[in-house]
Amino acid sequence: MLDQQTTLIAIAMMALIVYLTRMTGYFIGLQLRHIRGVQPVLEALPGCAFMAILAPAVRQGSLSEIVAMTCVIVIMWRSNNVVVATGVGMAVLLFGGPWLDG
Amino acid sequence: MSTWHSALHGIRSSGDYFLSTFMFGIMFGIAAAASGLEHWQALLMSASVFTASGQFAALEFWQAPLPLGTIALSVFLVSTRNILLGMAMTHHFDGHSLGRRIVWLYMLNDPGVVTSFRQDDSVDRLGYVTGYGLSMMTSWLCSTFIGLSTAQLFAAFDLGAIDFAGPLVIATMMMLFFKASKSPPIPWVVSGIVALVLFEIGSANYLILLGSVLAGMVTAIVQALRAYA
Repeated sequence: MLDQQTTLIAIAMMALIVYLTRMTGYFIGLQLRHIRGVQPVLEALPGCAFMAILAPAVRQGSLSEIVAMTCVIVIMWRSNNVVVATGVGMAVLLFGGPWLDG
Repeated sequence: MSTWHSALHGIRSSGDYFLSTFMFGIMFGIAAAASGLEHWQALLMSASVFTASGQFAALEFWQAPLPLGTIALSVFLVSTRNILLGMAMTHHFDGHSLGRRIVWLYMLNDPGVVTSFRQDDSVDRLGYVTGYGLSMMTSWLCSTFIGLSTAQLFAAFDLGAIDFAGPLVIATMMMLFFKASKSPPIPWVVSGIVALVLFEIGSANYLILLGSVLAGMVTAIVQALRAYA
């Protein structure tokens, strides 16, 4: 059992770290914004971070996970419907997993 | 559009990700209960930290004695994308006092930032992202509470199959980002390739993130230099 004080310290520390990451990027950007042509570079960065997470996840994914990812991408490409895309992807994972992955 | 109207617009636009956040919140509530967090502690964490990936990362190490350094490092590493989200919004939060920007940045959230790029120029981006964040926060807190309250019902289920739900939601955001982008997606392709190469040679996760983002950034700089040449 964890004592309450340590738990509160941990939560406060996490909150501070996450808030600082939210603020730091914006203020770094403010220091760079005077550079001509920097705006498209800064705006490309979140996509790079998403790709850094997605590419390895797909590479090590099981067949059902790859099928789920393909469904999500196709549905988003055709309709931009996040709910349908995520719902179908989740359904493939939950119900297709035992069948596709053996 | 005024800041407040933009915030309302953000709230109204957030329905899709409200639902997916709700699903993650329930999962977090279940995981938090299993880790021994009391209800109020888990809710306090959701309200103050407000990041699914960081909170799940912390729960991996949630046992006595709490390894504060390990938790801090893992939360920082999974939250580094917030730095990039903040940098991406540099040119879009103008026209507000510094104090307001500092306080409202607390609500910076991935889907809010990604969907803000799809809005027309009349929308105040800080208001929009904050409104979107308020909606996400509401979803996150309500679903955490439901997850905590119903954790016993799910104790017998194997929820391992939905570990991949995180990448699926990120893929939806990536697609929105991709379709809203006005420039060719070459930096993202390069990032993906570099991430794969680093993964294949067995690099640590933070090196994969760092290397692929750097590669994407260099590509974007080259792309910008060519556009201005």
